[in-house]
Amino acid sequence: MKIVILFFLIVRCVFSADWIQPPKSTELGYPVPQPDTIPLLPLAHAAHLGYAIEWWYWVGHLNSLDGDQSYGFQSTVFRLEGDPGVHHSKDFPVFGDQQIFLAHTALSDVAGGTYIHSERIYREGWQARVSTDRLDIAVGGIVAEISQDSECIKLQMALPEGGFLDIEMLPSKPLMAFGERGLSRKGADPAAVSWYWTYPRLLLTGTLKLGGESIEVKGTGWMDHEISSSQLSSKLVGWDWAAIQLNDGSEVKAYRLRNKDGGADPWSAVYWIDKIGESCNVYADGFTWETDSIWESRTTGNLYPTSVTIRASHPLTEKEMIYRLKPLIDGQEFVGNRPENAYWEGACEVFGSDDRVIGRAYLELAGYGGGLADRLTK
Amino acid sequence: MITRTSREDVKIAWLLLQRSTLRQWITNKWSYLLIIAIVAIGVGSINGIRQASRAASANFGLFNEAVSGRSEFLIEAPVGPIREAQLFDLTLISRSTDWHMFPILEGPLTQLNSKGEVLRQLRLIGLDLISVANLPDFIKNDLSFSEDRNDWSSWLGASNRVWVSQEFLVLNDLVIGEEFVASVAGNVHRLSIAGVLGNAQTEVPDNLVIADLTSVQEILSRNREIDRIELILNDRSQASDPDALENLEAYLRAQLPQGLSLSATSDRAADRAEMTKAFRLNLTILSLIAIVVGAYLILQALDSSVVRRRSEIATFKTLGVSSRSILICLLFEASLIGIFGSLVGIILGHLFASVAVHILADTVNALYFATSVESIQLTSSDMWIGGGVGLFFSLLAGWLPARDAMLTPPAQILTRGDWSPGFKWLRTQQIGLGTLILGSLTLLIPAPIISGGSRLPIGGFLTAGLWIFSAALLSGGLLVCCSRFLQRFSFGAVTKLAFSRLADGSSRHRLAVAGLVVSVGMVTGMLQMVGSFRGTIEKWFDVRFQAELYVAERGSGGASALNGIDPVVIDSLCQHPDIIYADTLYLTHVEALSSKTVLIGIDYEAWSNQIQHIWHTPPGVLEAQAGAEPAYVSETFARRFNVLNGGIVRLKTPVGIQRVSPTGIYTDYGNEFGAAAIDKTLWSEWTQSYRPTNTSLYLKEPERANEIRDLLRLQYPGLDIRNTKELREVALNIFEDTFRVTTALNAMAISIALAGLILGIIAIFAESSSTWLTLTRLGFPFPYFIWTAGLECAGIAFIAWIAGTVVGLALGWLLIYVINVQSFGWTLIWELPLGSMFIFGILLVISGLFSGLAAGFFWHRRR
Repeated sequence: MKIVILFFLIVRCVFSADWIQPPKSTELGYPVPQPDTIPLLPLAHAAHLGYAIEWWYWVGHLNSLDGDQSYGFQSTVFRLEGDPGVHHSKDFPVFGDQQIFLAHTALSDVAGGTYIHSERIYREGWQARVSTDRLDIAVGGIVAEISQDSECIKLQMALPEGGFLDIEMLPSKPLMAFGERGLSRKGADPAAVSWYWTYPRLLLTGTLKLGGESIEVKGTGWMDHEISSSQLSSKLVGWDWAAIQLNDGSEVKAYRLRNKDGGADPWSAVYWIDKIGESCNVYADGFTWETDSIWESRTTGNLYPTSVTIRASHPLTEKEMIYRLKPLIDGQEFVGNRPENAYWEGACEVFGSDDRVIGRAYLELAGYGGGLADRLTK
Repeated sequence: MITRTSREDVKIAWLLLQRSTLRQWITNKWSYLLIIAIVAIGVGSINGIRQASRAASANFGLFNEAVSGRSEFLIEAPVGPIREAQLFDLTLISRSTDWHMFPILEGPLTQLNSKGEVLRQLRLIGLDLISVANLPDFIKNDLSFSEDRNDWSSWLGASNRVWVSQEFLVLNDLVIGEEFVASVAGNVHRLSIAGVLGNAQTEVPDNLVIADLTSVQEILSRNREIDRIELILNDRSQASDPDALENLEAYLRAQLPQGLSLSATSDRAADRAEMTKAFRLNLTILSLIAIVVGAYLILQALDSSVVRRRSEIATFKTLGVSSRSILICLLFEASLIGIFGSLVGIILGHLFASVAVHILADTVNALYFATSVESIQLTSSDMWIGGGVGLFFSLLAGWLPARDAMLTPPAQILTRGDWSPGFKWLRTQQIGLGTLILGSLTLLIPAPIISGGSRLPIGGFLTAGLWIFSAALLSGGLLVCCSRFLQRFSFGAVTKLAFSRLADGSSRHRLAVAGLVVSVGMVTGMLQMVGSFRGTIEKWFDVRFQAELYVAERGSGGASALNGIDPVVIDSLCQHPDIIYADTLYLTHVEALSSKTVLIGIDYEAWSNQIQHIWHTPPGVLEAQAGAEPAYVSETFARRFNVLNGGIVRLKTPVGIQRVSPTGIYTDYGNEFGAAAIDKTLWSEWTQSYRPTNTSLYLKEPERANEIRDLLRLQYPGLDIRNTKELREVALNIFEDTFRVTTALNAMAISIALAGLILGIIAIFAESSSTWLTLTRLGFPFPYFIWTAGLECAGIAFIAWIAGTVVGLALGWLLIYVINVQSFGWTLIWELPLGSMFIFGILLVISGLFSGLAAGFFWHRRR
């Protein structure tokens, strides 16, 4: 499939961002994403071997067809590239030594108030493989494959306690690339850039097996695919990130890159995506990210600002936009195998300035347990 | 229901215990301490063997457990290794987040010192160093391969980076980053220590070397192979839920692709337990000897105590104490001995286990499967069994003297002083003869097959027990007959008195000789078996090993070392110009009739014409049956699979079911699972392997064997190259190791028996106290008395030796021609170690003499 998709490289409104030319490679020798790269399908969704870090990320809100049950889900595959300085001359198809993968799956049962999740780490081989031609991933319990003749993605993910989600995801907006000249900057470090491609709204239908029951579900989802070789600048300790899907058909992507001193990095940003997929944004000086309440994890002791208010001045209307995010369940902490890498990733409701529900969101709060920044700054 | 009278009896018995018995204990503290020590040794030997054999074989080869935790299921190829490409067939099953599928490859590794000499045997375990991080125990125990979790690409797939325990570093005076030299599969590797595994929560054995699975494939030269896949439940609470396990097993069985088999890990432990069942049973029976002999000694000791207190008991009776109270009091006493002895025995057993465990682990490694020693654990069942055995045998032994005391008429004792009803049954020869006949009949009981494929010689063991018992009963008669005969030739007061007392054949004399007969019989039987085994192996060695040099993997020498040699290395070696012929063997385990056996690849033509064997059935006598490949099979194989007279055995091989038909049966003492030898070309077809296990080299110039050996050792430092003499020494060392525990248990039984002799003679003197006093008053001098005691005791020892040797010879025959054949399937050449038996007899008589002298001296002094 050689489809050139619609994509909007032109960022219509650029405020306060000076262009920093990224180097060709990092100090360790990983290639760095270069500007003006157009994400062409099907290759855009395939694995980009050589780059240090790459992830495929799906979140979404699902409702049972009878409307009684609602769920949030997360499914993420991380690919980590081995040290380019180490030469691996051997061919190990079953136990590869060049790449490792992490599979994160989680499900929030809103009505039941429960959250189940799982982390698995595998090396490239019999338990983890990705295609370099198209979206075709099988890592542990996550299998994702794009259709041969459309952009419809089939996602299957195994959940703890015999749970299983099998859904089809059809993009309702074109694939988008964020950042100047197609590069999303994550700090002042010249190499701290990524190709950051998103489907901001996917229409979901499928089946959820939970507690021995099979439930037909539908809903909306979000997909990110990000490729970089230095995900965070070394001054950063983590990020707060939100994918907001508003009831009016538009979306907002907002993130605050947190410095060690607690402040927001200037490259933090809020992006608005309108109904037809056009976007504009502001950087750190154009918005605030306020904590409304903090949730303390009993498992890790981490403190997460799970209720937040994002205030931003829309660059086109100059109107102050207010988005209050409140979690549908407090306990949506993803602890995984090692508590020091825990993060909070959960389904939220979004309230407007008049405290009416205006949409739903997925909020990610990373780096509150320490250790994450070290892992992501190669 | 306890009646009022019974309650009164118990109360009075308790009072007697406090006022009379315990006073006796204080007065005769050394005797009682000895009795308690005897019970303790008996209980200790049983418990020690239990704990040691459990610790020695508990690990049954799943060495990765220290790192990955215990698994619930194992996925394996029916026979041989799993080809790693087969893992792709399991991808679907492995997707669940509720369990982990964890492939393992392992093999032996021999650590060498700087001079290239063998330091110790290690176990190399290949794990997927990435996916191990998912395992619940690995996470719970906070294990990691590196402090910097981002440096995985520097060690993943690296061919020489390994992880060891802290103890390994200390033992070898090494630090992280340094290297050690190890030999495996005929190659020598320098392995770099990448890190230390284990922490306060997790103890990693010091013989464990861990590396990435791909590295281990390379080190073992077993590319693309894995041994097994372990399935570990993520939720550990479900691991103990039988319903959850059953459901999962059913699901996995339904999903499992062809060519792989599933088994519960606990079944594997049971399989291994079955494999060593015969071995453990033999040890348990040997350890039981100590307690049986011990029981007899307690009987003697309590009897002696009863005899000593006879006047006191008679007085009690005349004062109105009931016979039942006397009985209960003495049973209380026996119970106390049992309880104290068991308590000490449990502690002793734990200490004994810590000494014996390494010997047993070596034996299990050499004969059965690779194992590592697990820490010795004293479980509640050990304590219950130890306590139960001690109490049971103490009560059993205490019953006869207690009954004797109960039946003693007070008037007769008070008037005659040394009257005793004795143990009348000891004088009844019919019981002894009846037991002998019954013992011979039990030989007819067929040996049932136990699940490991071995046979359990129930009839043989019953016969042994009955014959020993019968010899013990009949020995009293022999004592009387012999003494009467010798009495005619006696001269002087001492000999006349001694033989006259022996010729009287009191119950206590009979009891003393009977106990000693049991021990002598057992020891003589075992001496024959060990001697015959050794002699047979030496003869087999002389015939079978005609080559000049023998080549194997370094450090191999047991069932655990089936890794084999890199074919490239062996091919290169065999090209050496000084070698005229190499008899290369290829070994693998296969299954036949659901039990394990060995399939050997040989040069069939050479085995038929050139290579020498001790043939049980020479080639040509049996004809290969249609539809089966001709094979030379070991005697064990032929007996195990019932093809002594020809037939077909179906073998489960990596390429499916294959049939072999014996054309010759050779003797072999290498393993008890049996072996079928087929042509090596066919072996490679069936096993899909080309890895040789060892080779025997025939040289152009045999006289240059040592020179060529030295040259080859330099050229192939990863190979173990020995001449015939050296190989013989190694084989005999393995043999000696195997019988070390047996020897220790024998020594224990005989020393207890001698201690019993002293107790017995003291009882005899105590019983004859009025006779002795009369003689003393008549002027019988002290030295005469001492010598009489010595001679009496030497006489008992002599008769025990004669009777014990007779029953020992019968036991030897039984062990060699019945029990060994049924248990292990091999025939030994019966050899009588006459020298050892004669020396043993002389030592026994001398020990008897000195025991008598000492007992007489001390008894006289106390009077």
